[in-house]
Amino acid sequence: MAKKDAAQAPLTPAVLHILLALSAEERHGYGIMKQVEADSQGKVKMGPGTLYGSIGRMMEAGLIRESDKRLDPEMAGGRRIYYKLTGAGRAALEAELKRYRGVVAVAEGLLAYGR
Amino acid sequence: MAADVSCRGYEALYAMLLRLYPRPFRERFGEGMAQTFQDLCRERLDARRILFGFALWAFFETSVGIARENATHMTQLREPMLRAALVALGLLMVPLVASQVVDGWNWPPGTFVFAYVMFFGTALAYALIARKMGAWAYKAGVGLALVAGFAMGWSTMVRMSETENPANLVYFGVLTVGAVGAWLARLEARGMALALFAMAAGLAVVGVISVLVSPDVPSGGVPSMALMHGVFVALFTASGLLFRHASVAGLK
Repeated sequence: MAKKDAAQAPLTPAVLHILLALSAEERHGYGIMKQVEADSQGKVKMGPGTLYGSIGRMMEAGLIRESDKRLDPEMAGGRRIYYKLTGAGRAALEAELKRYRGVVAVAEGLLAYGR
Repeated sequence: MAADVSCRGYEALYAMLLRLYPRPFRERFGEGMAQTFQDLCRERLDARRILFGFALWAFFETSVGIARENATHMTQLREPMLRAALVALGLLMVPLVASQVVDGWNWPPGTFVFAYVMFFGTALAYALIARKMGAWAYKAGVGLALVAGFAMGWSTMVRMSETENPANLVYFGVLTVGAVGAWLARLEARGMALALFAMAAGLAVVGVISVLVSPDVPSGGVPSMALMHGVFVALFTASGLLFRHASVAGLK
């Protein structure tokens, strides 16, 4: 029930950005941060507190899950936990994007009417 | 070189800050957060950027997260606290009703309050510990250990109020062994089993000594004293066996 609700409710900006960052491939925490920064052209900078707080809530809602713990060949340091989108997460992302498209269509109609 | 040292210093401070998260959150994400902070530090180090501003921002941002997660954790505790309060109220009905119908049962109001606090504490301890593991044996072990510990603590207090014999404090020592053992075991089933077996063994030794050398026990009281100790030793042992069963089942 909670998972169904999570897939239907509007998403917070942090959750939307994390879902987007994970939509193409699995990523670890730092990788998600960098992808969010890139996707938003540097406008959204997420700190570790926001990122992992959101990851915790998203895992509880069944939107994402831990993939595995492995080395990142491009980075120094130990093994990192990777996160991946679930089916519910992808459905939530698609529903949110559909909602955004609806809002944009309404906004464009209103603006055109106002001109 | 100096920047590398300051980076390590910030990482150590950040690791300390992470300890303020609620334990379940910290155990799940603490390692990842520390790794991510380290990655961000190294990124700035490689770009020869000043670390202080970044560290200040990361510490503040994480502190906000800590406050939020602790608030969420406290909210999650509300339901078990409410249940424990209701269970304690139900249990308090027993002495309340008894004081109305049993001759000579004259508890002062303070004793009812004390009894309620004890019932509430025990019920809350069960609610918080038993959710650590889903296995029925673990939950049964927790319940049995708490009921036996409560009964032993209560009867010891009654005995102390009647005889004022400080030797009775040794029974609180047995309970302390259990509490410290549970803390050291971090409530894991295998360690809990050992803690309960240690309690049973300690109580058995206390029982033998008190039956053999206690000066203020009348000869007729020895069998009942031995029986009482035997019952509690059996209860703690049974609880330990349940924890051991949960531990073995958890490994399969």
